[in-house]
Formats: sequence, structure tokens, C-alpha cells
Amino acid sequence: MSENGILIEGSRVTKRFGGITANDGVDFAVAEGDLVGLIGPNGSGKTTLINVLTGHLTPDGGKVILRGRQVSGKPAHIYAATGVARTFQSTQLFGRMTVLENLMVPGLTRPRSSAHEVARRARACLEFLNLAHLEQLYAKNLSGGQQKLLELGRCLMLDPAILFLDEPFAGVHPHLRDELIKRIEELHRAGRTFVVVDHDMESILRISRRLVVMARGRKIADGPPEAVRTDQAVLAAYAGL
Amino acid sequence: MRHLHVYILLAVAVLALAYAPRVNPYWMHVAIIAMFYGILASSWSLLAGYAGLFSLGHMAFASIGGYASALLVQWYGIPIPLGMAAGVALCCALGGLIGWVCLRMSGPYLAIFTLGFAEIVRITFSTEDDITAGMAGLHTEPLFRAATRLPYFYTAFGLLVVSLALMGAIVQSRWGLFLRAIREDEQAAAASGIDVARFRILAFAIASGFAGLAGGFYGHYIGILTPSLGGLDLMAVLVVMAVIGGMERLPTAVGGAFAVEFLLELLREYGQWRLPIFGVILLLTMRFARNGLLTPFWLHFVRLGGGARGAAAVVAPGRKDSRA
Repeated sequence: MSENGILIEGSRVTKRFGGITANDGVDFAVAEGDLVGLIGPNGSGKTTLINVLTGHLTPDGGKVILRGRQVSGKPAHIYAATGVARTFQSTQLFGRMTVLENLMVPGLTRPRSSAHEVARRARACLEFLNLAHLEQLYAKNLSGGQQKLLELGRCLMLDPAILFLDEPFAGVHPHLRDELIKRIEELHRAGRTFVVVDHDMESILRISRRLVVMARGRKIADGPPEAVRTDQAVLAAYAGL
Repeated sequence: MRHLHVYILLAVAVLALAYAPRVNPYWMHVAIIAMFYGILASSWSLLAGYAGLFSLGHMAFASIGGYASALLVQWYGIPIPLGMAAGVALCCALGGLIGWVCLRMSGPYLAIFTLGFAEIVRITFSTEDDITAGMAGLHTEPLFRAATRLPYFYTAFGLLVVSLALMGAIVQSRWGLFLRAIREDEQAAAASGIDVARFRILAFAIASGFAGLAGGFYGHYIGILTPSLGGLDLMAVLVVMAVIGGMERLPTAVGGAFAVEFLLELLREYGQWRLPIFGVILLLTMRFARNGLLTPFWLHFVRLGGGARGAAAVVAPGRKDSRA
């Protein structure tokens, strides 16, 4: 980690798609142990920012600094190896692989990992996520909420320093959403750092220690949830002003 | 009984080897060609079935392996096994190069790209008749100077077994798991820490190497090589074999190669009509049994030995599950 406690930092991140500027000089830093909620109207550039910060997109401008080292431009697996894990807006599992295999994959990418040890960790992870009874099922056969949980489990198998969760509560049954929130809070208490993107304001406000708001590719607010939710710029962005 | 299916396969293999000297030359030839296709279908299955890289250039690599070995033996008088090994090395290198060039391609784009590559290879071999003898065919040194095909049968058998053992070891290892993850979702695979580019290149290099091995053997068995070996017709036959058998498992792909090759011979009396028959079988397979006609039988057979559907060996060490 860098000296000032910043785990990952996007500095002046700019990303364009054709004529559209999805991220326009965004500064976004996450300190170790933080639980950041990232919100904004549709098309505000949240997912693009996550894609840049996890190596899935190369920024057109600015840079990404991970533990004090510039990493922008490196492929996503390098980010994963350095402790950056993520889930996707639309769940992206290995559908025709079993639940257990889905967790084995990231575990086995770790250097000097043994299949026996990874299988033991994967089963412990499935216990934690209440998915142990489904380990031999194909991932595509799980319910939407279970798939979100499994995607979280796949992140955990990387033993990450930071987890980016892109819309983890979207389309999830309230019961499973509570389960997911419980697991995120438990993991945060255990020292994990999170960035959570979602439209479910109730859930985001419930778990976030810090709230960042984006609109039209720019960061418009950053601070404690209580302060941000009454910010005039934020209210205007959500009202479409 | 644990591993019963393995013992049954071993018993069948021993019986086949023991019975081989009594098989008439015609059917022995069919069996040898079936084993040649078996290596090709299983290596294509590694590429298309496991890694999801639907290449139409696989037969081109068989052709390159065949020509490389034949020409090296002809020009430099090197031993045939060394020529075949050089053909394999060349195919690995070229396969890796093709894998690198089409890193960002998948689905129909990859298929068209590899088809274009195959056509370039075929036309080059046709045109450069000073070197390859063009469509007249390049005469090759025979692997054995024997009165019967028996040594070729045993060699083809050995090559098939070794190829399956090596590819089986790959698909049962963590590499196999990574290839399947790439097939399912490249972005998620990268997010899980897999170096997608490296494994795609590796899959192309390994599969092309085995195709080169099959092509090298074929050239020194048949005695003449023509550019049509790398053509789209034989590529289509290969796809039919792997798809009808089941392209997501090595044994079912080999089973498909054997089934199609032997059925083509058995249906010979129907002339050209046997080909539409296979077309219909392919359509029915794609409609009703996308995992291949032989896959359910194979899974049932594996369960005899205590295996069940589920994780590959690497996933659950000590368990009885098996996939390949």
C-alpha cells in the first residue's frame, strides 16, 4: 500500500467511446478498509470507471495507481493477481462449469496453489455463502441471487485487497439481498475494502461509509452518505436537471 | 469396482492389438485412417470444445505437418521420426502465431480467419509445384517397408494413445479448467486471474502440434500428399466427426471419428448419398443432442467406474469424478 493509505487511485481518468466521453478526468481514490458506495444516474460512467480501475479498459487519459505503482494499460489478470477483484453488472459466471469449479478457477491462478488446498478453501467459501449444497450444480442453473453470491465467492477466492461489486443487488430477491449485505458487512469488518455500485439507494446507504456520486462522466460529490444525500448537485443530477 | 471403465478400455485395447493381425487389409486401412482422424478430432476438440476457439484451419496444420516432414526427409535425408517431430514443432510455432494474431477474435470471425489461413496454405501448396508437386501430389518416403499394414496400425494406435494421454493430462489439470473458463467467459476468466492471451495461444499451439503429428504420420503412411488434405472438405468431415461424437470431451470426439469413418465405409454402396445422410445426422445432433450423440453413453460408461458428472480431477482431488 502507498504511504498515505491509498490502495487504488484513478487519477484524471478519461475514457471515450467514439464521440461519447464516459469518464471525464475523474479522480477516485480508495483507502484500505474503506467501503465506498458509487452511485449515479444511468450512463453516468460508473461501470466504465470500474472497468478502468480493474484493468478491463485502458484509459485514454489519466492513470491508475495500485499500491503506489502505475498499472494502467496492464491486462486485467495482472490486476487480479495484485489483489483487485470484481463482479460484473450482468452476472458473468462460467455457466457450464459447476459451482465448485467456478471457485476453483481463481484459486488455482494463485502462484504455488495446490488443487487440494484450493478445493478446501472453495468449500469453506461455499459454506460461508450458504451455497455448499449446490457445489455440483452447473452455475447457469442457479437463481439470480445465488449467482450474485457465487460471483462474490469467486472474488474472495483471489484473496483480494479490494473488491469492486457492480450492481450486486440488481434483480436479487430481498431475502438474498439481505444475505448479500450481511456477507459484505462481515467481510468489511474482517478488513476487506469494497467499492459497491448500485441503484438500490436503500442498500447502498445502509452499507456505505463513504458515498461517491457521478453524473455525465464526472464526479460530482464525495463524502459521508448523510452529507452527500442532501447535496444540491446530487439532487439535481438525479432529478435530471 | 473403482475405475472399471479404465479396465474395460484397457481390455478392449489389448483385444484390438491382439486381433489386429487377423484383420483384412481393407478394414485395417479404415482403422488406421480412423485413428488418424481420432488424433485430429480430439485435438480439434481441445481447441474448439474446451477452449471455445472454433478454428477451421485444423486440417491446414495437418497438411503443413505432412508436407514439412515429407520435404525435410526428401531434402536432407533425415530419419522420418525426426521429420515428423520437425513438422510438429513447426505446427506448434505456426499455431501459436495464428493464436496470437487472432487473440481478439472469436465465434464466426475466428472461423472465417482460420478458414482464410487454411485456403492460403492449400493454394500455396497447389501453386508451388516445384517444391510440393502441386495437385499431382508429393511422393513421400514410407514409414515402414513392410508387406502388411500391421506396423502402421500399431504406430497409429501408439500415436493415438500417446496423444490422448497427453491431451487428457492437460484437460484434467488446472490448464484444462482455465481453458474451459475462457470458453465460458473471457472477461470473467481474466478477472479471475487467468492470462487469457497466453492460454489461447497455448491452446492453438498444442492443438496444431497434434494436427501436425497426425499429418506427418498420414503423409508417410499414404505415400502421397496433395493440397486437398488441408482443404475445407476434410475440415468439414472433421467437424462432423467431433460434433456428432461430442466435441467437449476427448474420448467422444475420438468415438465420433471412428463412428463416422467406419459408417462412411459401411454405407459405401449408397455412393454420394451417404454424405447427405451424415448431413442429416449432423442436423439432428445439433437440434437434439448438442453435446454429441456419444456423450450420454460416455458419461454412463464412466459412471460404471464410480465417476459421476462433476468436477475434473484437478477440482476435487481424491474424488472419483472424471470429465475427460
